[in-house]
Amino acid sequence: MKKPVKSEKIKSKKVSASRSKPKTEKSKPVEVKQLICLLGDELLVKEYSAAFQEKGIAVQELKNLSTLKTSAKKITAAFELTLASNEQKEKNLQALDETLPENVPIISSSVTETILSQSKHSKHKHRFVGIAAFPTLLSNSLVELSPSIHTSKEIADEVKTLFDSIKKETAMVQDGVGMVMPRILCQIINEALFTVQNDVATPKEIDEAMKHGTNYPHGPISWGEMIGFANVVAVLDALYHSHHEERYKVAPVLRQMAIAGIFWKAKE
Amino acid sequence: MAISIGIVGAGTMGAGIAHIAALNKCTVSLYDINEEVIRRSVERINFEMKRSVDKNKISDDDMKQALTRIKKRTNINDLDTCDIIIEAVLEDIRVKKDLFKKLDQIAHHTAILATNTSSLSVTSIAAATKKPERVVGMHFFNPVHLMKLVEIVKGAKTSSETITQTIAIAEKLGKKTIVTKDTPGFVVNRVARPFYSEALKILSENVTTVEEIDRIVKKSGGFKMGPFELMDMIGNDVNFSVTESMFQQFFNDPRFQPSHIQKQLVEAGMFGKKTKQGFYNYEEK
Repeated sequence: MKKPVKSEKIKSKKVSASRSKPKTEKSKPVEVKQLICLLGDELLVKEYSAAFQEKGIAVQELKNLSTLKTSAKKITAAFELTLASNEQKEKNLQALDETLPENVPIISSSVTETILSQSKHSKHKHRFVGIAAFPTLLSNSLVELSPSIHTSKEIADEVKTLFDSIKKETAMVQDGVGMVMPRILCQIINEALFTVQNDVATPKEIDEAMKHGTNYPHGPISWGEMIGFANVVAVLDALYHSHHEERYKVAPVLRQMAIAGIFWKAKE
Repeated sequence: MAISIGIVGAGTMGAGIAHIAALNKCTVSLYDINEEVIRRSVERINFEMKRSVDKNKISDDDMKQALTRIKKRTNINDLDTCDIIIEAVLEDIRVKKDLFKKLDQIAHHTAILATNTSSLSVTSIAAATKKPERVVGMHFFNPVHLMKLVEIVKGAKTSSETITQTIAIAEKLGKKTIVTKDTPGFVVNRVARPFYSEALKILSENVTTVEEIDRIVKKSGGFKMGPFELMDMIGNDVNFSVTESMFQQFFNDPRFQPSHIQKQLVEAGMFGKKTKQGFYNYEEK
C-alpha cells in the first residue's frame, strides 16, 4: 500500500525505520516526546515557536549552533527558518544535517531557494522538506510544504502529522521558488508599490482601496511592512533569477524601502 | 436639498448605484434606451432591498420611500435637471464617447458627468465633451450596495472643484472614497491583477492544481475567495478582457501579460458560473 508523494516517485527505500516503531498504528502520533528545534530569522522563529508551544509541544530556540550537540538526541524535528538563501542558512543546514540522527526531519524555509538545491550537498537528502515559512502566514490555518525529489514519503508524512498535531492543514506543492502564497502575495505588494511609484494614489489610499474594494485581509503596503520589505524583495529577486522574466522586476521604491527598513509615507 | 442623480444604463452597476442613491435620500432618474431593462432593473432593486429588510438592515418604510425616489426614464433629455449624471453602460470607448458628447449638450451647465468605467481612460472620455473639467471617474464595485469603496478618478483636465464635489456625493451615498490618477486599472484593478495572473502563472507551471491554489490562498493567505473561484464568478471573458486591455494600455509590460490558460477557457466558452463551466464545473448532477 505504498502511496508516494507526488514529486517523489523514484525512491523511498533507504529510509529505514529507526524511529517509526510499530507499523500498525499508522496515523497516530508516535509515543515519542516531541522536541522541536528552531533556528533562523527571529520573526519566523518567534511565530513558529509560539504556534508549537501553544499546543503543548516543547521547542528549543537555538541562538547559536554550539548548543545543538547537547540536545541533538532529543530533537524530533528541526526548523531552519532563514528566509534568504545565504551563507548562514547553509551553515545552519549543514550543522543540523551533521548533528541530528539521520531520520529526524529538517524543515527549511524554501521560499527563496528550492529545497532540492538546499539539500544538494547533504548525505541525507531524504529528510529535507521545504516550507513556505513567511511572516504573517502562520496565523492562518494552512501550511504549505514542498518535498524535493529526494524526500521520502515517511518524512513527508511525519511532517504533515506534526502540523496535524498543532491543528494546521497542510498542502503539498511542487518544489519551486516562491511556492504559492508568498509568490502571489509578493507580486501584489510589488504592484502596490509600483502604483505608489507612479503616484497614482497615496500608500494609505491604496491600502484602503484593497481592503474595501476587494476585501483583502490587509492593505498590501502595511502587509509588506509586517512581512518586512526586505523579505518581499528577497522573494521577488529569487523569482526573477529563477525565471529570467521581467514580470518579477522589483519596484524601485520597494527596493529602497527594503534597504531603509522603513516606509516613508505609510504613516501619514 | 436632495441631490438629484441621473444614471445612464440600467444594467447590474446602474441598478446598484440607483439602489444606494435612493436609499440615501437622493432623487434618482434611471435611464436606459430599453424600457424592459429598466423594469427588470427596478425589480432587482426591489428584490435586493427586500433582502436588506429581512436582515433588518433597513426598515420596510425605508424601502418604500426609497422606491418612490426612483424615476424610470427612457428619454435622455429628462436628465437635464440632474446635479450629477453617472454613466454605467458597456465598456466600449466609442459608445462612451458618443454618450458623453450627448450628455454634455443636455446636462445642466453645473452638472458633473461621471463615468463608472473600470478600465478605460477617463481623460479620453472627457475629451468628447466641451467641459472636460466637469468629467470625472466614479468607479463603483460590484455588488454596489455591499462594497464600500468608490474610486474617484481625476482625468487630466478634471478640476479640483469637481473632485471635491464628487467626493461629497459619494460620501452622501455612504461610500469610502480614494482619489486616483487616471492610469490603467486605477488602483484596485491594477493592484489586484497579480492575484489572478500570478495564480495562473503558478498553474501554468504545474506547481499544484486549481483547487489547491484556491485552498492555499484562502487558508494560508486569509483571502475570502481563491483566485480561480473568483475568476469564475467575475467571468473569465470579463477578467481576460480587462487583463488584455491593461496589458495593452501598459504598452505590453510583462507584468500584465495575459494567460494562455484563461484565453483558452474564453475560446471554449467556459466563462465560469454563468456558463456552468470554467475552472470548475457547476453543472448540476
